[in-house]
Amino acid sequence: MACLLVAVTLSTAQAADRALRMAYDIGDIATLDPHRGSSHVDRAIADMLFNGLVRVPPGQANISTVEPDLAESWEVGDGGKRWVFHLRHGVMFHPWKDHPAYEMTADDVVFSLEKAMDPKTSAYASEYDGFTVKALDRYTVEIDTAQPVSETLFLAKVMNYAGGFIVSKKAYEDLGPDGFRLHPVGTGPFMFKDYVPKERISFVANERYFRGKPKLPGVELLFMPDVSARGIGLRTGELDLIQGSSEESWVKLMRSYPGISVKVFGPGSASILFLNTKSKPLDDIRVRQAIAYALSRQAVVAAIGAETATPLYAPFPGEYLPGGLTTEEVRAKGLDYPTDIAKAKALLAEAGYPDGISLDVVHTELAVMLRPMENIQAQLRKAGINLNLKVVDHPTFHSLIRKDASQIVHYMAWRPNADVFLTRFYDSSSDITAGSKPDTNFSHYSGVDGLIAEAKATTDARKQAELWKRASVQILEDLPAIPVFQGRVAMGVRDTVDLGYDLDANLAFFIPITETVYLSD
Amino acid sequence: MLELIIRRTLNVIPICLVVFTIVFCLMRIAPGDPATAMLGDYASAEAVQSLRQEMGLDRPLWSQYLDSLRGLLHGDLGRSLSSGAPVSDQIASALPETLALAASSLAIGLLLGVPLGIVTAVRRGRPVDHAGRLFSLSGLSIPSFVLGILLMLLFAIDVPIFPAIGGGRSGDLSDQLLHLALPSLTLGLIMMAYVTRVMRTSMLNVLQEDYIRTARSKGIGELRVVLRHALPNCLVPLVSLCAINVIVLISSSVMVEIIFSRPGLGRLLISAMRQRDYVSLQSVLVVYAGIVILVNMTADLLYGVVNPRIRSR
Repeated sequence: MACLLVAVTLSTAQAADRALRMAYDIGDIATLDPHRGSSHVDRAIADMLFNGLVRVPPGQANISTVEPDLAESWEVGDGGKRWVFHLRHGVMFHPWKDHPAYEMTADDVVFSLEKAMDPKTSAYASEYDGFTVKALDRYTVEIDTAQPVSETLFLAKVMNYAGGFIVSKKAYEDLGPDGFRLHPVGTGPFMFKDYVPKERISFVANERYFRGKPKLPGVELLFMPDVSARGIGLRTGELDLIQGSSEESWVKLMRSYPGISVKVFGPGSASILFLNTKSKPLDDIRVRQAIAYALSRQAVVAAIGAETATPLYAPFPGEYLPGGLTTEEVRAKGLDYPTDIAKAKALLAEAGYPDGISLDVVHTELAVMLRPMENIQAQLRKAGINLNLKVVDHPTFHSLIRKDASQIVHYMAWRPNADVFLTRFYDSSSDITAGSKPDTNFSHYSGVDGLIAEAKATTDARKQAELWKRASVQILEDLPAIPVFQGRVAMGVRDTVDLGYDLDANLAFFIPITETVYLSD
Repeated sequence: MLELIIRRTLNVIPICLVVFTIVFCLMRIAPGDPATAMLGDYASAEAVQSLRQEMGLDRPLWSQYLDSLRGLLHGDLGRSLSSGAPVSDQIASALPETLALAASSLAIGLLLGVPLGIVTAVRRGRPVDHAGRLFSLSGLSIPSFVLGILLMLLFAIDVPIFPAIGGGRSGDLSDQLLHLALPSLTLGLIMMAYVTRVMRTSMLNVLQEDYIRTARSKGIGELRVVLRHALPNCLVPLVSLCAINVIVLISSSVMVEIIFSRPGLGRLLISAMRQRDYVSLQSVLVVYAGIVILVNMTADLLYGVVNPRIRSR
């Protein structure tokens, strides 16, 4: 006890000029290689360490806001098949081990994009089919595409997201793939310091960052799977920023504590029920319509909370993505399927199921997904639709749904643009069992293949958006999937943290830690 | 004695091999694989397959098993499939945290539980007995995660004496002790409840023995009767209890390490499960099995120390 009391006295915290401490819901990172990292924490880390040729400004998520990042400017030629980027001069890569910092050049950009295009070194290689890249001179890079690509689609592939991050060629070659995934080297505002597996990862400020020296001396990211522990850490001041719960009760509780605020931002993720259109009785559109009519999105959202969830009526929301339908547009077309239990029962009877149906559903144990699904299960039961939920852990869920083991797949995800949403969830090439590139088309749907291909081929932004909207309408008519809600992201932040920018949205589930973020006393 | 120790130690090896084999098979049967867990749902099937090849997961199971077994027998536990860090380093860093938690919890349990058990037995039927029994019943009833959060709220927020999260700065003993306080108190209070009950029951039985009556009739003071004559005979069941409860403490530490975000074996285990990190998982479980066997072996040896009649047999 005496030792403890001495320790209490010695450990008086110093608030000024210290690293920002944040905690996320994760047991460990998967990889620090930005072209392979896909969890929200992997992305949060990549965002601090790396840059893209262009970027969506911090606090924004709409691709239309894109601005120069490592590239100062760019030009499009050959009808959208030739893209030339002029790089900033004097951008320095972080030093690593015994190697000093060095200037980023076109060689690094070519190396990075070729790495992003290779499935052996990138999780995002399929996004770059038909792309080639070459250096024209030390500060100029040309990217050629086999087919014309619109600016909306192209810039998403070279921005600070997924495969667009630029890595140090010399560091990657020096450290090797296994070394680089544990010691990433980029051009971002923070540099890798150290990593303790299953515990934390630390970063220090990159004083030579091209946008200016970061205001924080460093950042420490702790892996903390328990939301209660994260909340208590925030209240005690041991943490400055935490990943919260998307349930409004948590948001209200945290806001009731002095010195703590909760930032709720979008787009978060779209919650969608994918219906297996090849399995009975879901192969009958009347049954799928019955499910849509039996569902009350308002009830699901009410249980989560109006601030952190909004009803979703379109396959992807027009509020965030060009080419998406807004709720008003869906209603105007009469495709919102308002809750009507009697109509649902009538449709089932008409389809030959007057006594109702039973469906086998594999579902993840993740509370953020399971609770809404249990709510949906209770709602559908009123119309005679029984869901036999088989709850499994998250990796098992992902494995089983890709083996066609679930008649309804409840999926929550976000994708950076309409094309990715449509291609990966609704194009027949992405069919989980029969597709040429099996992905996440759980419905075995092929009704909008033509529209997706046509939209991909056009470079006229307006026409492209129109085609995507037509695809969305077709999906709502055919109902291979039923959108449920758009879940927003909630993060707890101490009032001593000033982001230095307005946080309206972010493409992934984290608050960007940029050179402008600082801790006040 | 030495022969017994050697024989028991050698027994650890086949048991660990059996555990390793069972875990290896179970993990491969379970759905989900590390490549998908690592790359996430955004990755294409092609990228996942490429990573599976890189991880060697496309090789026949027997080949993977033999490679893992060969590594284990050479003391090479391999590298974590998720982080790429050597598993032996991870275990070397996590094991002391878990052992420190278990040892300090056991110490708290014994230091508080033994005196309370004696007092409640000696004062049987009096208010202190009722209060002690109620206290120990509460300790038995309350789950560790509830007690942990209550202690956090009380001693980290309402009366901010101790830190709530983490294991403390590496190399800073005072900071590490501070971070150990609440987790060890959480498990220690639960341990105390068990110790109190066993000690009370055991002491009540011993106090009714003839030799205690004889000691009292010879005019020996009550304190000396209890401590000198009764207490040594209560230690055998206490050693059994400690052996069982050290194992319980180590398994309970999983939950406590998650709540307090301590970087111990429990967190390593859960994280490896979530990420389908087969290599880390099978190694951690082998370490757990080894700990269980060693604790049981130590208990067997301690029986002989506290009761010479057992040793002579």
